[in-house]
Amino acid sequence: MLPFSFQLRDGEPVSDQIVRAAHRALASGELREGDLFPSVRALAQSLKISPTTAFKVVQELKDLGFLVSRPGVGMVVKAPQLPPLERRLEMLEPAARRFLEEARALHLTTAEVELLLRRITEPKDS
Amino acid sequence: MITIQGLRKSFRRTAALRGVDLEVPEGRVTAFLGPNGSGKTTTIKCAMNLVERDAGVVEVLGVDARRLAPGHWRRIGYVSENQQLPDWLTVPQLLDYVRPLYGRFWDRDFERKLLGEFELPMKTRLKSLSRGQRMKAALLSSLAYRPQLVVLDEPFSGLDALVRDEFLTGLLELTETEGWTVWISSHDIEEVERFADRVAVLNAGRVDLEEDVEALQARFREVEVVFDGEVPEDAGGLGLNARTAGRTLRFVDPKYEENRSLPALRERFPTALRFDQRAMSLREIFVALARGYRLTERRKEVAT
Repeated sequence: MLPFSFQLRDGEPVSDQIVRAAHRALASGELREGDLFPSVRALAQSLKISPTTAFKVVQELKDLGFLVSRPGVGMVVKAPQLPPLERRLEMLEPAARRFLEEARALHLTTAEVELLLRRITEPKDS
Repeated sequence: MITIQGLRKSFRRTAALRGVDLEVPEGRVTAFLGPNGSGKTTTIKCAMNLVERDAGVVEVLGVDARRLAPGHWRRIGYVSENQQLPDWLTVPQLLDYVRPLYGRFWDRDFERKLLGEFELPMKTRLKSLSRGQRMKAALLSSLAYRPQLVVLDEPFSGLDALVRDEFLTGLLELTETEGWTVWISSHDIEEVERFADRVAVLNAGRVDLEEDVEALQARFREVEVVFDGEVPEDAGGLGLNARTAGRTLRFVDPKYEENRSLPALRERFPTALRFDQRAMSLREIFVALARGYRLTERRKEVAT
């Protein structure tokens, strides 16, 4: 079992998907600093992916400062430093594009979409 | 771990293998795909020295497959769909029988662990086990000595999803073995889609495609062009599997490049409304390729 919820989707490299899911889990509190992260073997077994992919995922998360090896314990989650703004925007872009496409299909203007965003982020007390 | 070059094999007058070239590199999972009857089992049997080849090079663990000796066999785990098992034995009897062949390389603790995970009945003879249980028993007897090279011939055919999962979990127990290599054949891409690092596709006795999954997924895209009016007639010849529906043209681009492909299309169809591309799953890529093969075959038939 993975310590965070995750569903593999088709068509996108498995490692990208897992790295993103791990980020989300940390943001939502599903994963916290100091939590044990599954080993390469456990990762491969629970997702039925090749060990090479699992190894790549762990390596990538380590490079991102997201995991640290603690001898005798295994891999431990660490809250990474945020990547630069540009990079974070880049990460959000695909989701933003999908979102805007939906908005366009509904003939919503940018101003109207902004209205919606504000309504969600700053709910008025009434 | 395995190198095959120009492998040929005929049965009577039927050419089963017509020059197979294939590489199974160390430390990776290579999926060996192809329709039933394409020659996967024959290729594997040549590599496992169970079938005499007519021509070509087959090297396994650095030696000619015909020279595989006991010292090599203890590094190889081979499980095949139609494996002959000593049917009159129970699972523990099978293990008692196989264990001495591997001497000190047999890992008793690992055997017990797998035995527990696989939930195999201990008192039933192999012949009365279900297909899934038999496959797990065969896998167990081929993993307990921690082989470096695991060769699986259609291990999943006829297994339900649950048993398939158990089988894979057991197989993946070996993950931490240095340089651990898997060569797995299947006629069904879905069975191995996520598990494979590389794919080799056998078609009519030849390997048509051999590539890293990641590279394959990077270069294949489903492209969609939406036109203002009708799809122009000269829009043919674009990629694989081109089809039109109303104002939309869809095709598979097998050589997609981020900075080149869509701009080139924009240049070609300046009046089109929308250009889109999306990544494809391995399964979708295979469907597109299979359609392509069928077309080539038909063209060949027409030409002759």
